[in-house]
Amino acid sequence: MLNALWIVLLGMAIIFAVLGILLLVMVLLSRLVRPREKEEQKG
Amino acid sequence: MAAGEFLGFLSLSWQAIVMLVVGGVLIWLGVAKKVEPVLLVPIGFGCILANIPLGGAAEEGGFLAVLREAGIHTEIFPLLIFIGIGAMIDFEPFLQRPYTVLLGAAAQFGIFGTFFLAYLLGDGWLHLLNFSLQDAASIGIIGSADGPTSIYVATTLQSKYAAAIVVAAYSYMAMVPIIQPPIIKAMCSKEERALKMPSVAGTISQRTKILFPIITVLVVGLLAPKATPLIGCLMFGNLLRECGAVERLSLAAQNELANIVTILLGITVGGMMAGTEFLRPETILVFILGIIAFSLDTVAGVLLGKLMYVLSGKKVNPMIGACGISAFPMSSRVVQKLGLEANPYNHLLMHAAGANTAGQIASVVAGGVMLMLVPMFS
Repeated sequence: MLNALWIVLLGMAIIFAVLGILLLVMVLLSRLVRPREKEEQKG
Repeated sequence: MAAGEFLGFLSLSWQAIVMLVVGGVLIWLGVAKKVEPVLLVPIGFGCILANIPLGGAAEEGGFLAVLREAGIHTEIFPLLIFIGIGAMIDFEPFLQRPYTVLLGAAAQFGIFGTFFLAYLLGDGWLHLLNFSLQDAASIGIIGSADGPTSIYVATTLQSKYAAAIVVAAYSYMAMVPIIQPPIIKAMCSKEERALKMPSVAGTISQRTKILFPIITVLVVGLLAPKATPLIGCLMFGNLLRECGAVERLSLAAQNELANIVTILLGITVGGMMAGTEFLRPETILVFILGIIAFSLDTVAGVLLGKLMYVLSGKKVNPMIGACGISAFPMSSRVVQKLGLEANPYNHLLMHAAGANTAGQIASVVAGGVMLMLVPMFS
């Protein structure tokens, strides 16, 4: 039963970690990409 | 030659009769009630074919058995379906509200909670049912609310209950408008349900939309490698859609590929519903646990939604947490409808769609995590 409990705890922790990192990357990406597009529009 | 060897009705067992009725009911639900007809009609017909005595369609060498070997056991069908799904999904609502990915993560608790419960009922503690760790994980994955992920995980883990799991996953996806509203209403006050969220969000550049599938594959693949085939196919389909250079391939993935594989997958899943294997007490338990999985998903998503509601100073409607479940787009429609019921000017659809598409990614990650952890702890 302990092994199942570990799977639950680790599973949820890994999901939040993976998706949290994806969230950070996407936020970074949106900040990096948008200014260049504005510059292109000005040009 | 005895008459019973070539007259099918003389060989009808009670299990076959029950399953022929079940097949008929599935077709009726699809045709008359318009409940997921694209899936239920092929599944129902496959079920009828598999239960005609002496027909041999689902027995070794029969065409349904060949399809099962070629498409399900090799995991090709769910992966090909994911290319089509990826090409159909517009991730813009999610990219406009990236925080919704956390709602998607929370709503995967149904998978793990149900897995734990199934394992306790089986080999883990009570030994009431013949549920191994692999079976429990496969049953839990019904909570991914995602048919292809359920098929992929159940077949990879070689669960004895793969057919029941797949049918439960698809059936409950169709039943999201029945399962979710009472839970959401019980958890959210009318004031919370009526909360409007800003309807206009920032626009997403084409470059971001193209980079998103590539970055997602890299992040998810490098951190949860077992999810790579599923997330890879989903994001490949999405790249075809968003890159703008291969419209022909994108349309083929959305239409021809998705439709052909849906037909083959549906009839093959139906072909796995042979009465002698399907009608067991465990099958009923699988269906009960499936409802529990969907309910726990909803509860966990709404709970995180409520936390966001408090932390944001009442700017996030907690109901959108329920859309972290991956049943796209049914769950978004449910929340939109409940929002309008509480406040006729409350349009939550795009916010709900953001959480819903985030749930699609999260459910794939959850499937990969399950495939990674179960062999480690077996």
